[in-house]
Amino acid sequence: MHLTRSFRLLPALTVGLLLAGCYSRSDMKGEKATAPAASTETAAPDENATTPAPTADATNNSAPATAAAGPLAQVNVFLEVSGSMEGFMPKTGADAANTRFQQHVAQFLSEVNRSSAARKTYFRIKEKPYRDSYQQLSQTVRSGIQQPASSTDIPTVLDTLVSGYYATNTVSVLISDFIYSPKNAGAIPYISTDITDALNRTQRPDLAISVYGYTSDFRGAYYPALNTGVRKISACCDTPIPYYFWVIGPADAVRRFDAALLERQPGQQAHFGVKYPTPASSLLSRFQNVGAWYYGEKDASKRAAGASYHTVAVSSISAKEPVEFVVGMDLKTLPALYRDLNYLKTSLNIQAQDTDAKIVSVFAANEQTKNSSGEESKYTHFVKVHVTKLGKAARPLQLVLRNQRPAWVAQWTTKNDSNINQTGTKTFALSSLMDGVQAVTATEQTPTPVFIIPLTLQPAD
Amino acid sequence: MKGFFRFIYELIGTPQPPSETPVYREVIFPNVGLLTIGLSLAMVLIFYYLINRALGVATFNKVRHWVIFLVVNAVLAFVIGIWQTNAQEVASHSYIYWMATWNAILGLFWFFLFSVLLKRGSTNASTTPF
Repeated sequence: MHLTRSFRLLPALTVGLLLAGCYSRSDMKGEKATAPAASTETAAPDENATTPAPTADATNNSAPATAAAGPLAQVNVFLEVSGSMEGFMPKTGADAANTRFQQHVAQFLSEVNRSSAARKTYFRIKEKPYRDSYQQLSQTVRSGIQQPASSTDIPTVLDTLVSGYYATNTVSVLISDFIYSPKNAGAIPYISTDITDALNRTQRPDLAISVYGYTSDFRGAYYPALNTGVRKISACCDTPIPYYFWVIGPADAVRRFDAALLERQPGQQAHFGVKYPTPASSLLSRFQNVGAWYYGEKDASKRAAGASYHTVAVSSISAKEPVEFVVGMDLKTLPALYRDLNYLKTSLNIQAQDTDAKIVSVFAANEQTKNSSGEESKYTHFVKVHVTKLGKAARPLQLVLRNQRPAWVAQWTTKNDSNINQTGTKTFALSSLMDGVQAVTATEQTPTPVFIIPLTLQPAD
Repeated sequence: MKGFFRFIYELIGTPQPPSETPVYREVIFPNVGLLTIGLSLAMVLIFYYLINRALGVATFNKVRHWVIFLVVNAVLAFVIGIWQTNAQEVASHSYIYWMATWNAILGLFWFFLFSVLLKRGSTNASTTPF
């Protein structure tokens, strides 16, 4: 027992040492003058390890894959503390009222601190990350930013996170309003390219990013990204302002962090490059089944407990006597976005040959199905498929959940935030930011599906 | 074997509801078929070899006695059909009774067939039913 525990701590220790090495890397533009001194100053003494930075990448990549199970090795939380964030974290007034941002982020930090991850580190992001303790960062959230940075450049921050804080079994969480103000109006069309380039500089093959959007009341100066009009809206805002958590790391680590810490605060979400295990699924021959079909599996008659079936054997079918079958899916392991019925209804498709199979309904489990003695009680979601013709032999039929851009991204995007009170709860060029992320994480033009459930449709023998 | 039983039991149509087809074809038809054949054979052996040979009963060899066995065999065959479908917990459907009835008819057939084949070995009833 003692032995295994110390072995488990080893990767964490290694990462810790490496990070200290990564920490003083000055790969950001224009930080040469001030940065390195300040950074080492806030780091704990035992982390001033002498591990040279160049070995960091190599060791990170060769870190044991066995670490994939169990708690994460490390969680880094980065809170942006530029002037634009002050409105989320106003200095506590006499009425002691806080903003939803303060409530939420303080609670989230506490949850991270209590989480099972082997190591948690906290940073304030100004022009570069500054190491904080949990207490310091939580205090910043509660009582306001002491010395706000003039501005932070999102691509630079992302580049830092991906190049310096990226390791196996480790995630970085960036909390920010993600208002990206390009230097001039001519740079606006290149926002997505800037994001792509920043994330792509170190070419992480399994980079994944989960984006969570929340809204909060905002009490302070609002700095529009598009500063062609006003540079600053004082005493803003009448409308809630969005803020975001970006969870950045290797696909596996991001998935597990999402499930462990962000499952209960779904907000709005979008996931890029995160891979999910195929959810458990089965045909249900005794649940809303219509027409002459049965399980085509050889051992279907055994009806073993927990068995799942994916072959539809159709004994007779015609336009007048259609076949309808229901596939049960257990989507508990997926993030809330992919369990959302509206998302499923628009993004779940059938791919099949020689058949007119189409999805007629997608519905979630209800009290009736949950309490049923039938197999349907094991599943959280159901897809009903309607067929009136099929091929002469067995043909594959796949249920594919496409990874589509959720509708909220477009709804939360504005091209001009210089009058935010009228524009409403929107973020400047959010779609472009997402485009940039998507370009890095998707290898092909179409992103890989969230999952594919393979079925077989065949005439009965 | 499964193919044979599937053939004779699907003479009255495919199993209903269709979702229960694998259970009927793989389990119920072979079980019911074998049990019914075994039952019919046992009834024939009891009638011709136990009662009318080993026990030497002289007053139970007429056609009407044979018909009693024939009918009892059919009733038991019906019961086997119901019992096996219940044991496999198939979805309830009137097909269960059609299948059991068909099995009773098959029981009549098996009993007749075994009677014709085996009656010569009996001392008292070698000419029953004809």
